[in-house]
Amino acid sequence: MYPNLLLPLVGVVGIALLTLLLVAVRQPVVRRLALRQVARRRTEAALVISGSVLGTAIIVGALVVGDTLGFSVRQEAYRTLGPIDERIVATDTAVGADVAARLQPLAADPQVDGVLSGQVAQAAAASVHAGQPVGEPRVLAWQMDLDAAGRFGAAGGDSGLRGPAPLPGQVVLNEPLAHALRTGPGQQVTLYLYGTAVDYRVERVVPEQGVAGAGLGGRVNRNAFLPPGDLDTAARAAGAQPLSVTVVSNRGGVEAGQRLTDPVTARIRTALGPDAARAAVDTPKQSVLQEARRTGDSLGALFLMIGSFSIIAGALLLVNIFVMLAEERKPQLGMVRAVGLKRSRLVGSFSLEGAAYALAALLPGVAIGVGVGWGVAAIAAQIFRSWSVDGGGLTIAFAVTPTSLVNGAALGLLIALGAIAATSVRISRFNVIAAIRDLPADPGRRPRRRLLVVSSTLAVLCAVAAVPAVARSQGEQTYLLPALALLFAVPAALRVLPRRAVASTVAALVLLWTLTASVIRPRVFDTPSMAVYVILGSLAAFSAVVLVSENQRALLAPLRRMTSRPTQQGLAMRLAAAYPLAKRFRTGSTLVMYTLIALVLVLLTEIGGIMNASIDQAAADATGGYTLRIDYNPQAGGTDPSAALRSGPLAPQVSAVTPLLNARGRSTDPGHRTAGLLETAVVGVPDGAVTSIAFRDRLPGLADDPAVWRSLADHPNYVVVDGFFGSTGGPSGKPFAPGDTLTLTDPGTGRAEPKTIAGVLKSGLAFYPANGNSATSYPLIAGERSIAAQFGPDARTASALVRTTPGTSPEAFAGQLQGEHLAAGLVAGPIASDVHRLFAANTAFFRLMQGFLALGLLIGITGLGVVMVRAVRERRRTIGVLRALGCQARTVERSFLWESGFVALEGVLLGSVLGVLTTWLMYQKSSAFAGLEGGFPIEWGPIAVLAGATLAASLLAALGPARHAARIRPALAVRLPD
Amino acid sequence: MPPLLAATGVRKTYRTGAVEVTALRDLDLTVLPGELVGVMGPSGSGKTTLLNCLSGLDDIDAGRVEVEGRDLFAMSDAERTEHRARSMGFVFQAFNLIPVFSAAENVELPLMLTGTPPPTARARAVEMLARVGLADRVDHRPNELSGGEQQRVTIARALVARPAIVWADEPTGNLDTGMAGQVMDLLTGLNRDEGQTIVLVTHDEAIGRRLPRVVRMRDGRLVSDTRRADLEAVG
Repeated sequence: MYPNLLLPLVGVVGIALLTLLLVAVRQPVVRRLALRQVARRRTEAALVISGSVLGTAIIVGALVVGDTLGFSVRQEAYRTLGPIDERIVATDTAVGADVAARLQPLAADPQVDGVLSGQVAQAAAASVHAGQPVGEPRVLAWQMDLDAAGRFGAAGGDSGLRGPAPLPGQVVLNEPLAHALRTGPGQQVTLYLYGTAVDYRVERVVPEQGVAGAGLGGRVNRNAFLPPGDLDTAARAAGAQPLSVTVVSNRGGVEAGQRLTDPVTARIRTALGPDAARAAVDTPKQSVLQEARRTGDSLGALFLMIGSFSIIAGALLLVNIFVMLAEERKPQLGMVRAVGLKRSRLVGSFSLEGAAYALAALLPGVAIGVGVGWGVAAIAAQIFRSWSVDGGGLTIAFAVTPTSLVNGAALGLLIALGAIAATSVRISRFNVIAAIRDLPADPGRRPRRRLLVVSSTLAVLCAVAAVPAVARSQGEQTYLLPALALLFAVPAALRVLPRRAVASTVAALVLLWTLTASVIRPRVFDTPSMAVYVILGSLAAFSAVVLVSENQRALLAPLRRMTSRPTQQGLAMRLAAAYPLAKRFRTGSTLVMYTLIALVLVLLTEIGGIMNASIDQAAADATGGYTLRIDYNPQAGGTDPSAALRSGPLAPQVSAVTPLLNARGRSTDPGHRTAGLLETAVVGVPDGAVTSIAFRDRLPGLADDPAVWRSLADHPNYVVVDGFFGSTGGPSGKPFAPGDTLTLTDPGTGRAEPKTIAGVLKSGLAFYPANGNSATSYPLIAGERSIAAQFGPDARTASALVRTTPGTSPEAFAGQLQGEHLAAGLVAGPIASDVHRLFAANTAFFRLMQGFLALGLLIGITGLGVVMVRAVRERRRTIGVLRALGCQARTVERSFLWESGFVALEGVLLGSVLGVLTTWLMYQKSSAFAGLEGGFPIEWGPIAVLAGATLAASLLAALGPARHAARIRPALAVRLPD
Repeated sequence: MPPLLAATGVRKTYRTGAVEVTALRDLDLTVLPGELVGVMGPSGSGKTTLLNCLSGLDDIDAGRVEVEGRDLFAMSDAERTEHRARSMGFVFQAFNLIPVFSAAENVELPLMLTGTPPPTARARAVEMLARVGLADRVDHRPNELSGGEQQRVTIARALVARPAIVWADEPTGNLDTGMAGQVMDLLTGLNRDEGQTIVLVTHDEAIGRRLPRVVRMRDGRLVSDTRRADLEAVG
């Protein structure tokens, strides 16, 4: 992923490593100092490396998720297209024949590998397996020259469909259809061609690849290849016409050929001449590969966003460790500075030491990241299968690109080196005498004049820049600029106020702004960028922790009675509270790690809770009282299923049927996110038939939901869509609203008409096609008459919404319907079940993100472990004194456990409160929650589990150091040097 | 009068890899209540080891140590710790105050460990700090105090629970002459005025000359046990 980042990242890392190498070679003292420190503290070294490993693993994992999902979608190009780059479809047979004749000469074009023509019709199929009938309503029956199909594409390449044409009475099936029918070579199957049953013997089953897996845009195509002439005969008998399809293969392999799409498409249009207006020209390969890139990028970015909280925690861990190491080595560092080591060399020594840790973490981090990415992608694929309405889903194909590995490793290394270098510079600024004598740094020093001028100028600039950003509700800047302005104002404030007052005030103001920005500017989340969430979470966590750290003593006042009890327990509690209070930086940075991760985990938990609470209302909004959506083959002969439901034997179980007019169209994006055209499932609703399906937003003047539906009949240019129209995943915000316009085109005739959005549905689920003919197709609903006028005979009644009578099971009725109308290829889907399934899949996806984020919690727990290990080492003498004075060994152990428990619990509680508060504010104002009206639940159970599990893991991490502390022999410890 | 401390045949050996160092060799020592005993000897003679073993901070390899008639090494670690809390106070060369506690909190620590109610403990800690001349340093943290002040806080902490015996290991080792004199005045005064039993390790002959009883060590053995009264009698 992100090939554009490869060179800059590698360049920067290369320069950084080269600089460090130069330092190591040219300054032997610095090198010796650094490397011996690495060897000296092996436990700390192992923990630093663990932190870096996790950080790198999270980055690599996120990128591998993107690679795998992008590759999996790309596999669709191999499965369903192979050599096919362009597809020209004509509904009229004569036009189709003319198109084939006009395009055949293109086979000699140097940019084209081949041209292949055939006919296809929607069909259904049935077989008998183990004495039981098995039906499949979603079948494409093909008629094509299989010899020509075998030669189609690059010379010597695999078109995916080889072997002889089936003899009369025989049929060739592809694997998805054979699997659906549970049949194989030599078995009998029945195909329903235009509603008429025709028996065939399966001649062979071909893998789902290339032409054998081809369709009209579906993700899974269940294909039957008929003997020559059978489809024509069946069509003639039914008085229908099959679709004529001509496919073109560009020069090059499956993916390489896509590069020639634009010039070849231009030649096709030229070659088609007047037929260009009567046939639809598709570029399916380009669409699939673009979708693959979009899917990979957006999901990779989503996981990178989630992972970025863990990465911040990882960077904090490094900073914390280095600050602690510097504290321990202060007298030693003071000495080396006193004997003449320059400050820059001290920075070099620390940076070299840090680089050694970061480099040691690199390979394990990459390896674990690949494993994490694989695990996440595998679970994500399961969830995506549940998301798919047409039952096709996504077959996961694991893939890792070298670019992602290098990018992940370089980014991990860069973050580690950056954190270490910044910390090294900070810790190298000490007073030599104070360091040698181990005296505390002077906290009362006022900021230097130069710093004051620079920071005050920056504060003013940020404040000025914040005004237009806030006015325009620009996500990242709205949060960041006011916070930066406050931060840069700190040195100036320190001239007039005490440090604690300044820190508390600035932290409180930043926190207040972070929490209320979305209330003041509700459109702040209307951005596809995910950086805004990272900024929000980070600002909230950091400011809250600073506020708490500065006022910890006041917050702990209620516990004073417990900590002053004259018992061993009381002493343990007193010590457990005293050290975090005294060591504010390390406590604060550990707290931030916990707070940040807990905040996001709770936020995801709360979003899941909001969704679950809204599920019944969402199902009601999506169904509008309808229970089933049915899709069928309009060309199949016999009784029209919509009519049969009104008057046939199943009519007593049906209270209403609303037939829908369907066509395939293309639309511009009303949200202007893409310049390309969106595949659109155009739906025409009969005047006044639908009134109850609910809207999220309506055009001003349309008072209620029925008014919007009525307006479709009165205004031919009005359409309604759902909020996902044109969405490619990730946070969508509100890219369009009622009143926005789009252009709808009939790809068959090229006729384009401007449309105005009259309403945005809360859920458009009832209008998504379930026949599997198109992978990504956004429904667009308009009045029946306007669709018929624009699309002419290309618009057919091929689906309906069905309202069953009370007491009828939608699932059982759907099965019954499919069985009754198999010949018509009828697919029935209970709408409410689909809503529940989608909600369950969304919840599962949130759990997956939580699982990924939990890696960050591991970093926090590792951080706490590091702090505890260091604390034991630092406090050996104190422990010895305590033991000498009569403090029991178990009291020492308990004090360490309570100390870690105190920090972990405080962090988790703080994060949980912020998480609930942030979600509540987002729920009140963000458009992302529109349509979720089941109320705001507080997920006490999951939050308690999170807090309990975190606390238990933190205590476990502290158990080793605590036991070690308890075993310290007082006689030895009291004589240890500082 | 029964001895406060009776050590007989105490042996202590340190093992570092293949190397064995015998720090105490069959040592006998008795300390009566109210005595101020100085332990002197050259570096490495075993002075601190003796203090650690007799106070129960360290284990012994052979022998017996009784404090207030109780055999220290017949007790479990927890019992010995509790016994230390009730009967002993410690003054260390490096002060060893708890850095995150204030002067008063450090001083009240032994009282907390013996169950004294917090208000009483605080009152006694403040009173004790006043007695060592630190009434105005009650809420100061150790890093806000000078070396001499820190050592006086340590002495206050060692005495606040009114222990039977105070162990002082080079209490003036980190102090300048003037400050060392003040600390010794404090300790000898407490011994003289309140009968506080003190065992004090020092290598400073000037301090040794101020002590009523001095035992000298060499190579882990007690080589002399001299009382000032005896010296004065000798003339």
